[in-house]
Amino acid sequence: MSMDREILSYQGAKLLFALISFLTLIEGLCIIGQSVFLAGLISSLFSGRSFFSEGDQIVLFFIAVTVRYLCVLLIRTAAYRFADRTSSDMRRIFLDRLFQVGPKAVKREGTGTLVSLSLEGVSQARQYLELFIPKLAANGILPVMILVFVFLKDPISVLILLITMPVLILFMILLGLAAQKKMDDRWTSYRILSNHFLDSLRGLPTLRYLGLSKIHAKSIERVSDRYRKMTMGTLRLAFLSSFALDFFTMLSIAFVAVSLGLRLVDGHILLDPALTVLILAPEYFLPVRELGQDYHATLDGKEAAHKLSHLNNHLQKEPTNDNAVSFPEKEWGTGSTMVFENISAAYSDGNGKEALKGISFKINGFEKIGIVGASGAGKSTFIDVISGFLKPSSGCVTINGSQVTLEDSDWHDQITYIPQHPYLFSGSLKENIAFYAPQATDSEIHSALQAAGLESLVDRLPRGLEEKIGAGGRTLSGGQEQRVALARAFLCNRPILLLDEPTAHLDIETEYELKETMIRLFENKLVFMATHRLHWMDQMDRLIVVDDHTIKESGTQDQLILKNGTYAALVRSQLEGIL
Amino acid sequence: MSDWFFPYLKKYGRRLCLSAVLSVLALVCAAGLLFTSGYLISKAALRPENILLIYVPIVGVRTFGIFRAALQYAARLTSHDAILRILSEMRSQLYARLEPAALFIRSRFRTGDILGVLSDDIEHLQDVYLRTAIPGASAVVIYGLWIALIGWMDSLFALFMGLYLIILLIVFPLLSLLRTEKSRKLFSENRHLMFEKLTDAVLGSADWMMSGRQSSFLSSYDQFERRTALIENRLHVIRRWRDFFSQLIIGGSVIALLYWAGSMSADGHMSRTLIAAFVLTVFTISESLIPVSEAVERIPQYKEAFTRLSQIKSAIPGESEKKVGEKWTRTADRLDIHIEDLSFKYNDDDDWAVRDVAFNVAQGERVALIGRSGAGKTTLIHLIYGALKPVRGKVLINGAPADFIGSDLSHQISVLNQNPHLFDTSVLNNIALGNEHSTKEEIVRAAKLVRLNELIEALPEGYDTQMHEAGDIFSGGERERLALARILLRNSPVVILDEPTVGLDPATEKNLLQTIFKTLEGKTLIWITHHLVGAEKMDQIIFMEEGTVRMKGTHEQLFRENARYRRLYQLDVPEHLKQAIKKY
Repeated sequence: MSMDREILSYQGAKLLFALISFLTLIEGLCIIGQSVFLAGLISSLFSGRSFFSEGDQIVLFFIAVTVRYLCVLLIRTAAYRFADRTSSDMRRIFLDRLFQVGPKAVKREGTGTLVSLSLEGVSQARQYLELFIPKLAANGILPVMILVFVFLKDPISVLILLITMPVLILFMILLGLAAQKKMDDRWTSYRILSNHFLDSLRGLPTLRYLGLSKIHAKSIERVSDRYRKMTMGTLRLAFLSSFALDFFTMLSIAFVAVSLGLRLVDGHILLDPALTVLILAPEYFLPVRELGQDYHATLDGKEAAHKLSHLNNHLQKEPTNDNAVSFPEKEWGTGSTMVFENISAAYSDGNGKEALKGISFKINGFEKIGIVGASGAGKSTFIDVISGFLKPSSGCVTINGSQVTLEDSDWHDQITYIPQHPYLFSGSLKENIAFYAPQATDSEIHSALQAAGLESLVDRLPRGLEEKIGAGGRTLSGGQEQRVALARAFLCNRPILLLDEPTAHLDIETEYELKETMIRLFENKLVFMATHRLHWMDQMDRLIVVDDHTIKESGTQDQLILKNGTYAALVRSQLEGIL
Repeated sequence: MSDWFFPYLKKYGRRLCLSAVLSVLALVCAAGLLFTSGYLISKAALRPENILLIYVPIVGVRTFGIFRAALQYAARLTSHDAILRILSEMRSQLYARLEPAALFIRSRFRTGDILGVLSDDIEHLQDVYLRTAIPGASAVVIYGLWIALIGWMDSLFALFMGLYLIILLIVFPLLSLLRTEKSRKLFSENRHLMFEKLTDAVLGSADWMMSGRQSSFLSSYDQFERRTALIENRLHVIRRWRDFFSQLIIGGSVIALLYWAGSMSADGHMSRTLIAAFVLTVFTISESLIPVSEAVERIPQYKEAFTRLSQIKSAIPGESEKKVGEKWTRTADRLDIHIEDLSFKYNDDDDWAVRDVAFNVAQGERVALIGRSGAGKTTLIHLIYGALKPVRGKVLINGAPADFIGSDLSHQISVLNQNPHLFDTSVLNNIALGNEHSTKEEIVRAAKLVRLNELIEALPEGYDTQMHEAGDIFSGGERERLALARILLRNSPVVILDEPTVGLDPATEKNLLQTIFKTLEGKTLIWITHHLVGAEKMDQIIFMEEGTVRMKGTHEQLFRENARYRRLYQLDVPEHLKQAIKKY
């Protein structure tokens, strides 16, 4: 209900409501006029007058019909425009926020949810916005107008119509609730049964390996059948609510007709008004019947609109209280320094997974820093803080002596970030490589390609650099994906490189070849690399060992081995044989 | 179409017809209600002496009023019942077509979530019946009945009315189909592109942030969306105007009917009490023809789903289906694998996926299979598993060609793969899939062996917890453990490990491998791996490259003789670190 009221708060909603109410009023007048003229025509013909003597009534009838549906047309157009504008605003804000809060929120909310919300959700919300105001106006205005008019013609019929409406609505609601309850009671089995098919398809290889794939066909049949029976059980109840709608409408019209007939016989009423009332009776029920038809569509849309505005509020970025006016270091160089002082960070989802507690360190120039630790110790959080994806909850970061916030775009502009699975955009290989530097020339792209060792791949692709990759395009192997990410890095040549476990998932030969390429990329760059793979440590100037969400020790590899602490223990446990 | 529509139409034709007949009857009742009401009132207006004269129409009005709702209800139930039956059979059909290619689904349908799309397609196809076939057929029948009724009284006017209503029944639907088909196609293509772009935005949000290109994305997406909205708007405009003109046409039909009824009654061919009856009825009849336009407009949408489904052919090239003796359904005690000059390619003009491979694996041996992606490891495994038929050479399992044994080979060889599927049922049932005859005790014992028992016991409903609720609790390593428990229940002599530890951190990987090797003691292991951790414990290490075996031997042999192997091994086990750490 709160959402229903929320609609009127959208920009232009009140004006639209006024406009639609006005049009609905005209529509109501036309409905009445249409019935009056038609009844008049019929009774004239009934009393033996000729069709052509009623020319003006015919014209009036047709005008009433035309104006009525013109009003409907205008209402639909206005509502559609409003809904289109409002829902696209919602989506715009939504995407805007999404980019502000970045990949962490994406992970928290789930990619599927976010994509489907911004596509399906927005169009469902639009449908709801489109339907809601016209339906509200139609149900509020038309039945009342018709009732008032019928009252003038025949108060007894008003009584019948008036009594039916609440009974009808009551039954609809009661039966709707009963169906909902039945659905809820069976929710678990419902979900399993309805998922069973897709679940089976996804698990087909597993079933095949277990020798069950043939027998499982029977189970699909059985479950489908159970699902059908269960669905029918619910539908029997669910359809009852539209049955009630139909039943009471039709019964009410029948009662009106019979009561009119009986009173006509007695001479209490004349044919003309009786016909008018009879023609108006179905129109009286029309708005509520249409509401019933679209009920589910509006329900989904309402839900989606609610979720969207909830997320839009939820994703709101905390106001940045940075007093750093401009970023002190536009281009990280050999003389640059960065100091972390007592930095703590936590994810906003509450359970504080992989947070950091009071870390401090200092970085100079083009150091190569390895970040090591068991999984879950805080390595990724470390990278997230440096990249500015995650805002520290306390502590301060200074660069060249002045305090900064790392969410600054001037900082982002200096960083290349390479995760374990670099994301490939659906587009050509060339677009993917030039992602960070869309203005790059062909020869620049070519040398990046060469540096990243992608030439042989490009030669093998039928369309070369224009080959489509990413979703819907050619699938690349894990090693090739990494090389695309490396080519991006070579091309934009930013001074800071963040790597999060870039090679652990690759086969050892690919890893070996990639390593050579990557070492070339490291030259003249500040490098942070979080990894479990110990062979990388030889390339690092300094290791930072993270354990239990804080920095346990740091130093060169040799120092740490000598120290025989956390790092040495880590190395030992990895190098012990597995058997 | 021919596989996915007509057979069902034929098989379920009677049920579908029944529901169409019921919905026609419901419409007839609605029309009848207005017809008898109009007649009743007109008759009553004549003020008959005897009230019994209007008794029949009174009963008629009430009966039609009541039956209309009941018939509508029955029609909806029968149509849904028929359609759910059809969907159920379509699911079975799709499954039966995908099943023979079970192991190749992932490699054949690389793009996106094709299985989800297919399963959605089937769900969407219910609209073929629900929104197109049944309403379309009902409208045609109602139209026929109406014209027949008028024709019974005046054939000339029936001809006129028939032609006039053709506008609603055929002209408008065809027009709107033609007018919208292109826009609809464009619209659905754009929707797909929007989906791609949004996925890129959401999944690649880190890259967008880092590149500082957010605003350029937002503005380009915005423009694109606006263009799509324009197309959609066009579709809506067409629909709105079509509905408007349909209503005018109905208005016209009412006037025509008034003229006809008036002159019929004036000429004494028809009682004047029927004027109101006919005029009121024509509203209902004409309105029942309006949905035809929408029903027809949907047709192009189904085409896509039908095309996708028809592309699923049951036969797979190079794949074989066969049956041999019964002994294979019983788990053998020992299984020797002999591979000789084995070569395979997927299509005649492809490169060899596997070329001249030869090695033997005796019962209890442990073999590591290493190579980069695309080197032919998976194809080799499929050949050993009998899912592919060799082009040259042979794979013999205890002397019998592997591809002859078919799916019975699953009793002899188990596979532990990456991302084993956990089904949406209880944890207990998930483990029991390994062997349907196993008792609860055996299942718990297996769970204890793979060290999952404590975790499972701690779940809200222990072994009866639904995987849907427990799925998130199980980490990658634990999922593998659960799949391992299935394999323990199968107790087959050979187990293929298809990179079960990819994506796990070293500590988890080590623990899992320890469990695997301990619990599978004595079984033949063929282990596809990407690292050399544990290589020293293997009886054979086979390096594959471009379909052929590049290096083969034990760890000691290779380490001694092969510089390349030594270099690779250094990555996994840096020698100087090992030395350094040994000192303490």
